[in-house]
Amino acid sequence: MFALINPSRVFYWIEKLINFINSVFFILLIIALTFALILSPPDYLQGDNVRIMYVHVPSAWIGLASFTCIALLSILNFIFKLKNLNLITKSIAPIGLMFTCLAIVTGSLWGQPTWGTWWVWDARITSMTILSIFYILFIVSHKFIENEDKANKLSNIIAIVGLVNIPVIKYSVDWWNTLHQPSSINLNGPNHIHSSMLVPLMLMLLVLLLYCALIFLMKYKTEIIRIKKKNIKRI
Amino acid sequence: MIQNFISISGYGIFVWLSFFITFLACAIIYYKTFKTLKKYEKEFAKELNNLSEKERKLVLEKSKIASQVLASYNKSV
Repeated sequence: MFALINPSRVFYWIEKLINFINSVFFILLIIALTFALILSPPDYLQGDNVRIMYVHVPSAWIGLASFTCIALLSILNFIFKLKNLNLITKSIAPIGLMFTCLAIVTGSLWGQPTWGTWWVWDARITSMTILSIFYILFIVSHKFIENEDKANKLSNIIAIVGLVNIPVIKYSVDWWNTLHQPSSINLNGPNHIHSSMLVPLMLMLLVLLLYCALIFLMKYKTEIIRIKKKNIKRI
Repeated sequence: MIQNFISISGYGIFVWLSFFITFLACAIIYYKTFKTLKKYEKEFAKELNNLSEKERKLVLEKSKIASQVLASYNKSV
C-alpha cells in the first residue's frame, strides 16, 4: 500500500493535479465569493457580520484537520519508519499553521462587533492558540535541527502530543461554559444551519481545500526535488 | 446599492478585513511556495548540467523525477 505514495510514482500526478487545480480554482473562487458576500442572507441575530463565518469556519476546520492528519501520519511513521511520511507531514504543517492563525484572527474580527471584545481567554480560543503553538514547534524543529533524523523524531513526538489538544478544541464548547457558540454543523446529528448559509460555507470550504491541495502539492514536489538533489550522484 | 454592498450594514470593516487578510495570507504563501519550488528546480537542473555527459544520461535514464524536473525547468525558462 505504501508503494502508492512512493515519490517516483506520484511525481507525474503532482504536476497534472497542480495544473488541474490552477484551471478550476478561480472559477470556483468567484462562485463561492458571490454566494458568501452577495447571495447569502444576513443572520437574524448577527446580521451581516455572519459573513465572516464563511472564512472563519473553514479556516478552523482546515487547521484542525491538518494537525490531525500530521499526528496520524506521525504515528504511522513511528510504526513503519517511512521517510516519505516525513516529507508529507512537513509539507502540510505550514498550511495548517496559516489556517489556524486565520481562524484566530477572523474570529477576533467577528468577536469585536458580536461580543464587544477582540479577545477573551475562552476555552475554544485558548485551545486554538495552543494548537498554533504546536504547529510552530513542529515547524521550528525541522528548521533549526540540522540532523534530519533527530528533527523528524522530535517533530513526530510534538505532533503526537499535540493530538491530545484536538478533542479538547472540538468539545471545549460542550465541556466548559464559553462565549463561543456551540457547533451548528454535526456529522452525526441534525444541523442547525439553513441551506442558504450552508451552501456558501461548503463552497468556501471547497475553494480553501483546493488551495490547500495546491500548496501541499507544490511543497511536496519541492521536498522531493530537495532530496533528489542531495542524492543526485546516487541516482 | 454599491454603498450598501461596501458598508455591509455597518459591518463592512470587519467583513472586508476578514476576507482581505485571508486572501492576502493565501497569496503570500502561494508566492513563497512557488518561488521556492522554482528555485529548487533551477538548482537541480544546474546540478544536473554540472555532471559529465555520461553521468547525466545515466541519471536521466534511471530517474523519471530527474527528467520531469528538467522538462519542467526548461518549459519555465
